[in-house]
Amino acid sequence: MDGENNLSVIKLKNILLVTVPDDPGDDIIQELQTKVLHAIEKYQSKGLILDISSVNILDSFFARTISETTQMVALMGGQTVIAGMQPSVAITATELGLHLGKAISTLDVDRALDIFTDNFKLV
Amino acid sequence: MAIEETGENPIKNEGDIVTCRKLIRNVATTAGFGMTDVTRIVTAVSELARNVYVHAGSDGVMRWQLLYQPGKIGIQLVFEDYGKGIPDIDQAIEAGFTTAGTMGMGLSGVKRLMDEMHIQSELGIGTTITVAKWGRAK
Ligand SMILES: Nc1ncnc2c1ncn2[C@@H]1O[C@H](COP(=O)(O)OP(=O)(O)OP(=O)(O)O)[C@@H](O)[C@H]1O
Ligand SMILES: [Mg+2]
Repeated sequence: MDGENNLSVIKLKNILLVTVPDDPGDDIIQELQTKVLHAIEKYQSKGLILDISSVNILDSFFARTISETTQMVALMGGQTVIAGMQPSVAITATELGLHLGKAISTLDVDRALDIFTDNFKLV
Repeated sequence: MAIEETGENPIKNEGDIVTCRKLIRNVATTAGFGMTDVTRIVTAVSELARNVYVHAGSDGVMRWQLLYQPGKIGIQLVFEDYGKGIPDIDQAIEAGFTTAGTMGMGLSGVKRLMDEMHIQSELGIGTTITVAKWGRAK
């Protein structure tokens, strides 16, 4: 394939940084959940940043999986921060009536890292 | 560049949901819809195509058509399947109603995202959902 659908999971000290591709299919979203949970177990991560700044569509399936993943990460002792939602995606998700559960949202990855540094002393 | 006025894409497997989204993103962007409207339209496509894949129990098809009125552009999308049908349409479009144990936000959300929505369904014969969105011409 052309590689544009690659999901990247990077370990940064005590947290994980996951970059989501622009138009993720259901299989990629499911893979995201599995990869994240395994990586958290493997690295004993305390936090997760989901960088969705490239994502140009967030439907009910994606929202449900993010909210579920956030909950699973919480059960494993971690906090999730969703970074970089595009304005048009935020507008559409709100109109659709979607909620992302207990995740914190930030404007970009830098601010997500700030949250982990300031509030959780993890980075 | 000439715009194709109409087209279709089958909905047979999970991958077709993404194919439908990509196709309509292209069509709506080329037609001149703004970024937020494109996102609304593509999100509606995702919900309706997934409903066919998850609920219908049959293959389906998405047909699209561009509409023109003085000063306006429009897109009409028809999702047609030959599956089990929806017993109670009013109930199906209520926010939170689901027979699949998920959020039940699809149809109620699509109604808010699009300007027009029409559902026709017959048990054991199939479901046809037509939606349309209008924007200002470039
Ligand atoms: N094409 C279809 N064929 C048969 N039944 C359908 C079809 N589309 C929707 N339905 C019925 O309408 C209900 C409501 O659909 P809606 O999209 O609002 O919610 P959902 O698909 O159950 O959950 P969500 O979309 O939030 O994941 C479905 O649970 C299903 O029973
Ligand atoms: Mg649905």
